[in-house]
Amino acid sequence: MNWLKLLIEELKSIFSNPVVVLTVFGGVVFYSFLYPLPYSQQTPREQTLSVVNLDKSKTSYQLERMVDATPQVKVTRRDTSIEEAKQAFLNQQVSGILVIPVNFYKDIQLGKSTTLAYAGDASYFLVYGTLVEGLAQAGGTLAAKTKVARLIVDGKPLEYASQHYTPTEQNLKPTFNPRMGYIDYVVPAVFVLILQQTMVIASGMMLGTQKHYRGYWSQLSSLQLILLRTLVLVGIYYFLSMYYFGASFAMHGVNTIGDPFELLTLLLPFLLSACFIGLWLGAITPRRELVTLVVLLSSMPLIFSAGFIWPVESIPQPVVWLSSLFPSTPAIQGFLALNQMGAEWRQIAPQWTLLWVQAGIWFLIAWYQVEKSKTEQ
Amino acid sequence: MVSQWQLLKKDRWLLSCLTWIPIVLVITIWWVFSQAIVRELPIGIVDLSHSQLSRKLTTEFDATSTLSVSGHYQNVAQASEAMRISDIYAYVVIPRNFDKSIYRSEQPKVTTFYNSQMILVGRLINSAIVQAQSTFNAQLDVVKTLSGGNTTALTAMSQAAPIRTQVTPLFNKNTNYAQFLVSAIVPAIWQISIVVCTILILAMNHRQYGLNRWLTQRPIKKLIHTLTPYAALFALQGTAFLVWFYLLLQWPMQGQFFTIIVAQWFTIIACMIMGGLFFFLTLDPARGMSFAAAYTAPSFAFMGITFPTSDMNTLAQIWRSLLPVSHYIDIQVSQVSYGVNSFDSFKLLWPMFGYSVPFVLCVLLIKKHLAAELSNRGDHELA
Repeated sequence: MNWLKLLIEELKSIFSNPVVVLTVFGGVVFYSFLYPLPYSQQTPREQTLSVVNLDKSKTSYQLERMVDATPQVKVTRRDTSIEEAKQAFLNQQVSGILVIPVNFYKDIQLGKSTTLAYAGDASYFLVYGTLVEGLAQAGGTLAAKTKVARLIVDGKPLEYASQHYTPTEQNLKPTFNPRMGYIDYVVPAVFVLILQQTMVIASGMMLGTQKHYRGYWSQLSSLQLILLRTLVLVGIYYFLSMYYFGASFAMHGVNTIGDPFELLTLLLPFLLSACFIGLWLGAITPRRELVTLVVLLSSMPLIFSAGFIWPVESIPQPVVWLSSLFPSTPAIQGFLALNQMGAEWRQIAPQWTLLWVQAGIWFLIAWYQVEKSKTEQ
Repeated sequence: MVSQWQLLKKDRWLLSCLTWIPIVLVITIWWVFSQAIVRELPIGIVDLSHSQLSRKLTTEFDATSTLSVSGHYQNVAQASEAMRISDIYAYVVIPRNFDKSIYRSEQPKVTTFYNSQMILVGRLINSAIVQAQSTFNAQLDVVKTLSGGNTTALTAMSQAAPIRTQVTPLFNKNTNYAQFLVSAIVPAIWQISIVVCTILILAMNHRQYGLNRWLTQRPIKKLIHTLTPYAALFALQGTAFLVWFYLLLQWPMQGQFFTIIVAQWFTIIACMIMGGLFFFLTLDPARGMSFAAAYTAPSFAFMGITFPTSDMNTLAQIWRSLLPVSHYIDIQVSQVSYGVNSFDSFKLLWPMFGYSVPFVLCVLLIKKHLAAELSNRGDHELA
């Protein structure tokens, strides 16, 4: 059989295998809509808050309004005692509490410092962070206003006061994901993992299905079979990756600042490694559904050790070593650097090298296993 | 039960999935987050002033527990390059003539660029920098006011910081990320493992006995008979992770174990029904496994632990309500964090009765497959 005929046979066999079609095309497209779904609002906003105003002065009401005006927080309740507010919190009517102390206004006027108390549920860190951020913003603004007011009372002109109330000015710039969006955070990394996992299932499932029957694949040597399968699957996955990094990212408004040519180059060792892992899994598993099982169970450890949720510096070193055996880890780091953070090609050389080393090693392992399972038949 | 054990001994893969694999997975996840609190994140400093005050500010950043100054850069370009490959997570630019500007009260602007691609890291850095710089500002203010004479240290302090804030995290007192993430990821893995193991168990019995010998006459009773020992095993796993978290690791626990364990039984039954549905749709375990993957793999995203449920859109809420583990986690949180009374927690279990619909579907599918097999065999016998 010549190569053209083989290619056609292989394509036919892929497209007539319902499980492979379901996973590759169904899975990839389904996930591209499902995964970003919970995050479509990007950032939690307008977290509900109860204010316990024990001061009831003009300034304290002003603070309430300033808190309500921040995008992060919405004042939905006013309680007369801390106890009452706590009950409302336990009934999940509000997600945070702000206490303005007695004599708040008086203390500020007297030049004493006064303490605002915030409380929030820290078991949900994003809600907690949002609340604290909003409250800190409002509190900070009021503090600055107070200092400016004092300078004016001291006889300084407003122009001077508004530019001299603090020794140094703070200016914090979120970089790479300026809107702090959750989709921009999760999607670029998780999609890389989805590409890897579905690719592993596809190539493993093909081998797992075919090894119980005879067909065009039986006449090929292991090396030829690996070559043919890799050629076809990597080809198909180039299109799917372009859908992910192109149309799908654009649809979700995710940054794509990387050079397309560089992204496609980085894809090559990544897809090759994933395909070889699939072949290896297909060869060692006695039944094809076990390929999906292994892939499914490995997803969570892989995503949490990739270093984009929990910083690599805080992950124990043995876990970091283990996770760099799989292409998703360097690939996620490489794609994030190129496409989200605008790194130059030379800067991701370590990831690029690691991916090629993996491709080489996984190729040898796959070759050995496929050869072994062939002789066992 | 004995016969199940005989079957299991031959199916090493399923046996592993029921025994050591979940343990290894859970320990790996716990290990990833075992540091619990993010400390010493590397940041860079671009000090264009090289003065005593700029060095003082740098020390202030380094002194926080979250940050660690890992590099000094000559210019912004170098620092930005280091941030692009995550060598550092932020860099602070201290302007030229920083000290002179402070003495002249010209309010020099200190600019921090931080990596917000990783939201957790970004937020931590943001608040650490704000805190450190505010401390630095307050110190300068106090010194300045005191040097003016005519004030006490206390007045000087309150001049520097007229409004102080005190933040009290409720329920997760030391904002321990390990507790909060691991106690949600583990149930998510548990759910995946129940659904896939159910499919493998059904496939094993189907392979061994064939549908007819296994399920003819009173299929529901026989199915329950097959699955009960496994349900007990999943319940054991559930209790094991609760014991590990709240008794061995001594994470704070306000509620009752009993309530959570009841919720776990509901979750187990719901997951097994879904696993059964996926298998009996086609009787092909590979296809069933693909459905299970699509259904369970992204469930952590929908649980509402990282991103609040109240901020999800309707479609996401609907998908969320289809996942057994999202109902379970509501109850777990209500018990562990809030110590709500059991009755209120049990009210959250109502949606679980919705799984009677897939259960009925399951039974119908079994009957259909049985009928098909019978008529098939009938044809063979006729021939």
